[in-house]
Amino acid sequence: MNNQLEQVLKKQQQQQHAPQEGEIENVIQLVGFMVGDEEFAVPILGIQEIIKPIEYTRAPKTPPYVLGVFNLRGSVLPLIDLRMKFGLSKSKENEDTRYMVIKHNDEVAGFVIDRLTQATRIKESAIDPAPETLNDEQNLIYGVGKQKDKLISILNVEALLKRDF
Amino acid sequence: MDEMEEILEDFLVEAFEMIEQLDNDLIELENAPDDLDLLNRIFRVAHTIKGSSSFLNFDVLTHLTHHMEDVLNKARKGELSITPDIMDVVLESTDKMKALLEHIKETGSDQGAIDVAPTVKRLEAVLNGETCDSADSEPQKEPEPQEEQKDISEMSEEEVEAEIERLLAQRQEEDRKRREAKKAAEAAGKEAPKSEEKDLSEMSEEEVEAEIERLLAQRQEEDRKRREAKKAAEAEAKKVAEAAKEAPKSEAKPAPAKKETKPAPKERKTTVEQTIRVDVKRLDDLMNLIGELVLGKNRLLKIYDDVEERYEGEQFLEELNQVVSSVSLVTTDLQIAVMKTRMLPIGKVFNKFPRMVRDLSRELHKEIELVISGEETELDKSIVEEIGDPLVHIIRNSCDHGIERPEERIAKGKPPKGTVQLKAYNEGNHIIIEIVDDGKGLDPDMLKSKAMEKGLISEKEADQMSDKEAYMLIFKPGFSTAAQVTNVSGRGVGMDVVRSNIEKLNGIIEIDSEVDKGTTLKLKIPLTLAIIQSLLVSVQEEYYAIPLASVLETVRITPDEIQSVEGRSVLRLRDEVLSLVHLADLFDVERVFSMGEHAYVVIIGIAETKIGLIVDSLIGQEEVVIKSLGEYLKGIEGIAGATIRGDGRVTLIVDVGALMDMAKSVKSSMENLEDTAAVSEKNSPADYNILIVDDSKTDRSIMKKALEPLGVTISEATNGVEALNLMKDGSKSFDAVLVDIEMPRMDGYTLAAEIRKFNKFKNVPLIAVTSRTSRSDRMRGVEVGMTEYITKPYTPEYLTNVVARNINLNVEHTS
Repeated sequence: MNNQLEQVLKKQQQQQHAPQEGEIENVIQLVGFMVGDEEFAVPILGIQEIIKPIEYTRAPKTPPYVLGVFNLRGSVLPLIDLRMKFGLSKSKENEDTRYMVIKHNDEVAGFVIDRLTQATRIKESAIDPAPETLNDEQNLIYGVGKQKDKLISILNVEALLKRDF
Repeated sequence: MDEMEEILEDFLVEAFEMIEQLDNDLIELENAPDDLDLLNRIFRVAHTIKGSSSFLNFDVLTHLTHHMEDVLNKARKGELSITPDIMDVVLESTDKMKALLEHIKETGSDQGAIDVAPTVKRLEAVLNGETCDSADSEPQKEPEPQEEQKDISEMSEEEVEAEIERLLAQRQEEDRKRREAKKAAEAAGKEAPKSEEKDLSEMSEEEVEAEIERLLAQRQEEDRKRREAKKAAEAEAKKVAEAAKEAPKSEAKPAPAKKETKPAPKERKTTVEQTIRVDVKRLDDLMNLIGELVLGKNRLLKIYDDVEERYEGEQFLEELNQVVSSVSLVTTDLQIAVMKTRMLPIGKVFNKFPRMVRDLSRELHKEIELVISGEETELDKSIVEEIGDPLVHIIRNSCDHGIERPEERIAKGKPPKGTVQLKAYNEGNHIIIEIVDDGKGLDPDMLKSKAMEKGLISEKEADQMSDKEAYMLIFKPGFSTAAQVTNVSGRGVGMDVVRSNIEKLNGIIEIDSEVDKGTTLKLKIPLTLAIIQSLLVSVQEEYYAIPLASVLETVRITPDEIQSVEGRSVLRLRDEVLSLVHLADLFDVERVFSMGEHAYVVIIGIAETKIGLIVDSLIGQEEVVIKSLGEYLKGIEGIAGATIRGDGRVTLIVDVGALMDMAKSVKSSMENLEDTAAVSEKNSPADYNILIVDDSKTDRSIMKKALEPLGVTISEATNGVEALNLMKDGSKSFDAVLVDIEMPRMDGYTLAAEIRKFNKFKNVPLIAVTSRTSRSDRMRGVEVGMTEYITKPYTPEYLTNVVARNINLNVEHTS
């Protein structure tokens, strides 16, 4: 009995050590998308799913960027227009429009984006903290990812899901 | 330490369950002091808790329960008769026990919070010095074997071995001390099983047997000694408990042997029900999944209807029908079954009332009997949890204000003992809880004058009040009929809390009373919070669900029935004046459609206040499943939750209470329907937008060609739906629309009617271009709001002229 236990323990230890040894650098996987003319990204682990636009119900007494609530397989989720949240005009729905369902802990909400771009991997070292000037009080930007030819603003999932009204 | 925590958790769950029963048993005992079964049962509770708590090292709790046990044991053997005074002490100690357990639950320790010394002293007084209680040395061991066996399986051979070695040394040391001290008392019982283990690893079955024999003899010897030195026991018990904590770890082998020597705790087995404890969260998850299934079922039914229409008479329809109906049947059954798993008998709440009424009657020097019936009636768990407090208030009130003192009652020719009945039963989708007392009843005139005195109502209001309304006054905040403020009630809070609590559960309160005969309070509560009956209404394009429990009535009105008083809309309904508010104003609904010929007023009310809610139409009554809006949208003013309807859309459920508050601050904008659309400056013909709606590409080209000379901008749509979307979308404001009548998806008539529903399109010229030339067609065109009617074929010039005339003449939107 004890031998078995020891073996299990050893195995566990090995498993715990292995990734540390093999790890060279932390890589974050991002999903990029367009809101207005700017490209943003969120960590892929923060995304529950991405769906095509479906019907939603307006919720009264909420800020304009909260479009309302929609039914995602039996759950009622809030729908937030990222364009309006970022101070742009209301999104015009077209065939590229998507609802990005973002999840952090138990909080889930749908966000309207204009278009998906691509999924990328980016090294953590290539992410700079958001510039002071850009860092508004809401803390929406987690950092700026540098890529070969462009910069991507990485959004802070937790801040996105935080109610600010 | 994890397993200790597990044991602790088990202990707490078990203890609370036992205590729940204990209170009732004690009350019963007072009425039947000689019931030996009852006494045994009560004794066992104290005993079991004592055993487990000493095992878990809760000294204070052990100390207390030990004394309780002694008293009960004496009573059990008939050496002590249970008088109300003794009962008071016992009940007091039960309360202390509960408090200690609560404390343990919160902090994991029983130290510090509660002082049991006075209670223990009183128990000792009852006990009257030392008494023989040999009985408890034997049963004391009972809780142990159970716990001991729990952990064995989790240990490896080696660990057990090592543990035993360690314990052995420790225990031998202790044994020596103990023998010297000669006050082993409690310890003996505890220690014995452990001593057995000493050698077990090296022992054969027979040796164990022999060893047990020896220990038994030893223990009997010690028991005798212990009786002499009973008082000294407590200190030692503590030490032993510590040792006991370690004990389970070393109990691998002796378990079977021990069963022979000690009576198994079979009493406990007989009361155990066949149940499994399930985390409520799991049930909630299950309920959510069922909700999704129900939704799927509803959609399936809808699709089946469509399919049935399209493929009437086909073979496969029959099969599909069978599948659909069996799925829907099973889903419904499943939903009911899962809902049932969340149901608890209301007896869980009722249980605490006999004790409460007993205490109250002693405190108030009244004789009150509580008669409970229907405690097996089941309610959703969440409601059972909420219903307790309101019931406490109501029953207290009945005892304090309702039931008179014995002298008074005799003078009135009633039996000196008052009765409070607590009944529960099902009625449709509701459960009814009735609290009936045979006390002095409510006097409507007295209530009214009292309310006026306190400035809660005006004299005029009082005059108009019916008796029933007067009874409801007791639920007003700040209202108390007790001349004297007592400890029990009459603080002026309570009954209004009762009402708000019941309303939170979507329940209704009714009072009936007769002076000197008594009062009946009836609570009507939905079986479950998750599903409610609602009235669906629509405002413009939006739907809202209003909980039906708050809807008093609905009336249809024409706009000119709405009158204005001091800038507020009011409605004269029969002999009442009702203040009105438009739901669209409350929820800032965009007024895209103008008000039709009729509007509907939904009269909603909570207790005495009511208002009229203007909506555009009533959709119907529907049973809806309430879903939370989640953390992000929680607590939006006026919205209580959401539901998903059969078509998969989300409908919001209004919060009637909040709505009534909001109504106070909202100004009606009923008549602000002036067309305020700004007319943008038109400089060149290209600034004019014309929309051509026709399914035929040729026809569209012909019209486009004809209009080319005008130089206007032209958009196209191939059917009514597309055209409507294009217009609603608002990116372009159209100055005229050319409409074909016969089109797929939505024909020209429907399109025109739809367009005219919008305020902002009231004056847009709609020009029908069609080959339908009959008079009835033209008539219909006019009815739905067509401005012009051009019959095909037409000359390009004619079309150009008509269009030009319409847009030129209508630049100021003055058609």
